[in-house]
Amino acid sequence: MVENKSIANVLMLKKLLIFTLIMFVFGFALVPFYEKFCEVTGINNLLRPDIQAKEIQVDESRWIMVEFDANTRGLPWQFKPLQTNARIHPGEPVSVMYEITNNSDREINGQAIPSYSPRFLDKYLKKFECFCFTKQTLKPNETRQMPVQFVIEPELPADIQTVTISYTFFELAAGVSAVNK
Amino acid sequence: MHNQDTQKKGSASIWQIAKAVMFAFMGIRKKSDLENDAATLTPAQVIIGGIIGAVLFVLGVMFVVRLVVS
Amino acid sequence: MAAVHGDVHGHEHDDHHPSGIMRWITTTNHKDIGTMYLWFSFAMFLVGGTLAMGIRAELYQPGIQILEPELFNQFTTLHGLIMVFGAIMPAFVGFANWQVPLMIGAPDMAFARMNNWSFWLLPVAATLLVSSFFVPGGAAAGGWTFYPPLSTQGGLGVDLMIFSVHILGASSIMGSINIITTILNMRAPGMTLMKMPLFVWTWLITAYLLVLVMPVLAGVVTMLLTDRHFGTSFFNAAGGGDPVMFQHIFWFFGHPEVYIMILPSFGIVSEVIPTFSRKPLFGYSSMVYATASIAILSCVVWAHHMFTAGMPTVGQLFFMYATMLIAVPTGVKVFNWTATMWRGSMSFETPMLFAIGFIFLFVIGGFSGVICAIVPIDIQVQDTYYVIAHFHYVLVSGSLFALFAGAYYWIPKWTGRMYNETLGKWHFWLSMFFFNLTFFVQHFLGLAGMPRRIPDYNLQFADFNMISSIGAFGFGSTQLLFLYIMINCIRSGEKAPQKPWDGATTLEWTHLPTPAPYHSFEKPPVVN
Ligand code: HEM
Ligand SMILES: [Cu+2]
Repeated sequence: MVENKSIANVLMLKKLLIFTLIMFVFGFALVPFYEKFCEVTGINNLLRPDIQAKEIQVDESRWIMVEFDANTRGLPWQFKPLQTNARIHPGEPVSVMYEITNNSDREINGQAIPSYSPRFLDKYLKKFECFCFTKQTLKPNETRQMPVQFVIEPELPADIQTVTISYTFFELAAGVSAVNK
Repeated sequence: MHNQDTQKKGSASIWQIAKAVMFAFMGIRKKSDLENDAATLTPAQVIIGGIIGAVLFVLGVMFVVRLVVS
Repeated sequence: MAAVHGDVHGHEHDDHHPSGIMRWITTTNHKDIGTMYLWFSFAMFLVGGTLAMGIRAELYQPGIQILEPELFNQFTTLHGLIMVFGAIMPAFVGFANWQVPLMIGAPDMAFARMNNWSFWLLPVAATLLVSSFFVPGGAAAGGWTFYPPLSTQGGLGVDLMIFSVHILGASSIMGSINIITTILNMRAPGMTLMKMPLFVWTWLITAYLLVLVMPVLAGVVTMLLTDRHFGTSFFNAAGGGDPVMFQHIFWFFGHPEVYIMILPSFGIVSEVIPTFSRKPLFGYSSMVYATASIAILSCVVWAHHMFTAGMPTVGQLFFMYATMLIAVPTGVKVFNWTATMWRGSMSFETPMLFAIGFIFLFVIGGFSGVICAIVPIDIQVQDTYYVIAHFHYVLVSGSLFALFAGAYYWIPKWTGRMYNETLGKWHFWLSMFFFNLTFFVQHFLGLAGMPRRIPDYNLQFADFNMISSIGAFGFGSTQLLFLYIMINCIRSGEKAPQKPWDGATTLEWTHLPTPAPYHSFEKPPVVN
């Protein structure tokens, strides 16, 4: 009787421990799941080129001021846009050059992360080319110029007259793969 | 429903499980029905029923959301 | 029913027990361990409370007077962590240790040795957490939810916190495995699942929730740790990670966690209300079902904590509707408690007062929760004092009041002595008054836009903050009265009658002498 009970208890203990382990693994499985979910639903699509699906109509009647901003965090690079702003029509293809210089004497990998103001700009911003889609590797004292090509769709709410596109370069530790492998 | 000879574990119909789960989600259940459930449902049935119920709940809410935003 | 089955055996079990401190370190007795859990959590409650006094002292007036902003943030962070993981959760486990075996007629917990371990992990974790104040850089300061990037940047204090959360999680998981096994395998003959007292039911479901989500918390803090020290980038945008993902995983744990902290108090209140209404619980079965469904549904509403973190409209609507629907089974419970009291012959001893106070104030907290769940409103009140008011109404006047109700209700059974009823009533009324003084005005502060987790504020908020601080000092001091009442009861309380509450019907009152003997139900009772 007592024997049976403790056997049943140990069996229960094992089941619950296995369940705990499964849930621990599940926690980690949420990571790829989250990424897949964002990919499928198109959330967080900051780092992949957009494809021009339809012909975008240029809205000649409207002007938008686009400001370009560049920062670095924790790496000895100089990073700046070659022009600080542009006055454009919605729907008009724009191309801007950015320049990075590695001021150190070691080779460094960096990854640029975009951020926009207003925050919902990403819904209306279609980027066809960007240095932020891949990691950038700079040799000691190398300088590089890189383009960004984009369109701001005419659907951008009418009360928005100025938008900011900002990039921040972070150092990628050696051996860490870039965002888009 | 109260057929005496069906009152054994695991003999519940799908519909009975579904009903038990539905009432559970609302949090109401008559005592007599509950005792009937307790007599005829196995834990596995209740758990699987509960999970299916939760999935249906999620799908249902999602459907309503679709209706609202479309 | 009332016959006390002689469980006091002739032979002395206590003989072969080490005495002094070793008794407590080596004990595997569920009553000893329950007692240790309760004292531990009360000690942590005082530590967390002291931090709260510091916070409210700083906020007494605008400007920085006492705590530098860095230290202030450490205070809020550790206050939250200590209250959640050190005070409320272990207190409920303490109740489970004492009451679950007594209420189902089991001689002890299923795994007595593991029970001892799961308790002794707690002081270790608490020491790590508290000592983090004294390491270079100080304690973690990014809030009890430790969102990255702050939690990936902080110093040694954050590592200590992560480690301590790991240990606390392990302890909770071991505790819940023990509780589940005890409830499922060790019930006395005749104690069918549907005859179990509601307190046991709520703990069974809570324990399942714990093994479901605690490992996820362990996973997410492990990811933080590897992000900090081993070059991974789970939450680091520069490395391809996403800080918002942390919030999703954290709240996947976090929302069930808030129900982990409230379901056992539903259980306690569901024992106290029928006893003092001298009526059986109205809708016992619906209560069981409502508890189970709250538990399941609580796993699909987590993102209501993240409405302003950036989410598509469909997501916001989904989580808004799901959250509001969860309030339905919660409402059913409130209805059932009220219906239990309806035309009962009620009396208002301290446990009942706390239980009724619980119902009133928990309803207020539930309503403010539903208001927070409405996306357009939440965008206004997120990260303001409105949210602080909401969760203190459900956690302090919810979980904590229920713990007080339980402590007054069962202390005669545990010690064989009565507490001082007059002082108990004072404790209740003072707590009630000062609690509302502290937290009701925080609704107004939040609606007016005062952000949480800041040491200084705009002049327009000065009056309400002063009121709130005065309330907090009162509430804090009142809890010392509780300590006094308990010590007084244990040392020199009047001898408790066999059954001080004539309405009580559960096994510990009907089948055991008072105080409960050190070894109880070695022969299973007969339940009919
Ligand atoms: C009727 C049921 C409830 C609803 C609808 C509800 C809803 C919400 C919502 C929407 C928030 C997020 C507010 C924001 O951050 O802007 C929130 C926060 C919170 N709730 Fe509730 N809640 C309910 C019950 C509870 C219970 C029972 C507890 C715990 C015992 C609880 C504890 C918390 C805590 C701790 C937070 C704040 C977490 C933080 O940001 O630090 N809630 N609640
Ligand atoms: Cu929540």
